[in-house]
Amino acid sequence: MPSPDPGSFRDPSSRVVFDGDRVLRLLDDRGLRSWQDLTSSDFFGRATADGRLIEAHETENPGEGAVGALEHPRLPFISYPYEWTFSMLKNAALLQLGLLEEALGEGLTIKDATPFNIQFLDGHPIFIDIGSFERYQPGEPWIGYRQFTRQFLFPLMLRSWAGLPFHPWLRGDMEGPSAADMKRILSRGQRMKPAAMMHVTLQARMEERMSGEAVRSNLREAGFSSDLIVANVGKLRSLVESLHWEQEDAGWSGYHSFDHVARDRDDKAGFLRESLQARQPGRVLDLGANDGHFSAIAAEHGALAIAVDGHEPVLDSLYKQSAGSSIAVVVSDLTNPSPSQGWAGTERPSLMERANPDLIVAYGVIHHLMYTASIPPRSILKWLRDFEAPVVLEFVSPEDPMVDKLTANKLESELHAGRDEPAFRQLLAAHFEIRREKVLEGSTRILFDLVPSGR
Amino acid sequence: MIFAYLDAGSGSLILQALLGGLAGIAVAFKAWKARLVGKRAVSEAEHELSGTEEPAANSES
Repeated sequence: MPSPDPGSFRDPSSRVVFDGDRVLRLLDDRGLRSWQDLTSSDFFGRATADGRLIEAHETENPGEGAVGALEHPRLPFISYPYEWTFSMLKNAALLQLGLLEEALGEGLTIKDATPFNIQFLDGHPIFIDIGSFERYQPGEPWIGYRQFTRQFLFPLMLRSWAGLPFHPWLRGDMEGPSAADMKRILSRGQRMKPAAMMHVTLQARMEERMSGEAVRSNLREAGFSSDLIVANVGKLRSLVESLHWEQEDAGWSGYHSFDHVARDRDDKAGFLRESLQARQPGRVLDLGANDGHFSAIAAEHGALAIAVDGHEPVLDSLYKQSAGSSIAVVVSDLTNPSPSQGWAGTERPSLMERANPDLIVAYGVIHHLMYTASIPPRSILKWLRDFEAPVVLEFVSPEDPMVDKLTANKLESELHAGRDEPAFRQLLAAHFEIRREKVLEGSTRILFDLVPSGR
Repeated sequence: MIFAYLDAGSGSLILQALLGGLAGIAVAFKAWKARLVGKRAVSEAEHELSGTEEPAANSES
């Protein structure tokens, strides 16, 4: 019995269900016609061959009220726009616009414009919602324009023009900021830019004046044509290309230049390699991935590395450098990972539900959770244990110079129990069995290879 | 009609015509005018039906 994808319900003509490991798309009459229109275009073959569009082929209809069914390859990992870096959202926006332009050239259109229809595979954006393509009806406007501005353009403007991260906004409101919101956020100078005058100020004003009016027939009768969409999309593409983000170094980008990091790096890599060779994991969750050094090692060993870090600048560099390798970049603060949210609280599953690791790498991270975020060691180990996967972990004892820095403004009484080596080992024993360990030079750091106890 | 399951926003739809260059400005203006004429016609018809002689003072209100 196939189970519905909790994130695929808005479009009744095309919905995704899971049948074991298979990803099926169920079509109604309208969806089936659109699929036939799509496959009869040259565009479809071209865009699937170069990996911009997910592959799809017809398969046996499982019923469930559908008149046709397609099967897609299963993507190894799903991420959401509020977990992407600036360059990822920018590339996704350019893919969206490029596909629309090409589709229109062959009499097709894309009926929405949301980054949730795009995923990243081996560092490249790929459009996954085949059901978004429809035959273009003469005189019809670009239905997705407003959605494009709210979910792609405005978040990019937030970062590029106002220097604000878009993640809190997109995570808090998945529809994205409205034109009226942007009008309030941008400075007077920024609002004077021609692009802001059009897409922000004018859109906000027109939305306010024309709420809920039927204008599609007026546009058609006034002679609207797809050439106007192509012209608008071409200009939007130049605008998106012109948006850049000058990263400010907020302290983590040069992390590996610290003495202890450079010295320990080879030892940590060697220790990880042994675990990778012994276990051959399919998916490695790299917590606090920083510049992705250890994610890259996991990827070299054939794993999909999910590189999670709260610091966007380092991950943006990693994304730009790792195109073509199996590293999935995820911007998320480990003390507040993406929750399960959306309709019914299940539309977009939490990061922890999606991670599903075969091996966890927690190098250079748990002492930051312990000392900077004040999370009790007991709680950190319980959290790691709940993934039901082996863990390669770096323990940093209170004698380490880095801990002195992290606790410079904390009183002894403000620190949690379990942070010194004997107490930490006791906590470890409650959840894990130690398979290997290695003391790093300087003797204040220990690497552990752990397996969940009772497995 | 293209099947729109999302709210495209009336003002944004007129705007996306306007953003299509010179030809778009003409189309957006025409559509905008048709909207005003349409509103006036509806408003006058309502007045006739309700037996009021006075035409609507402000067709946009």
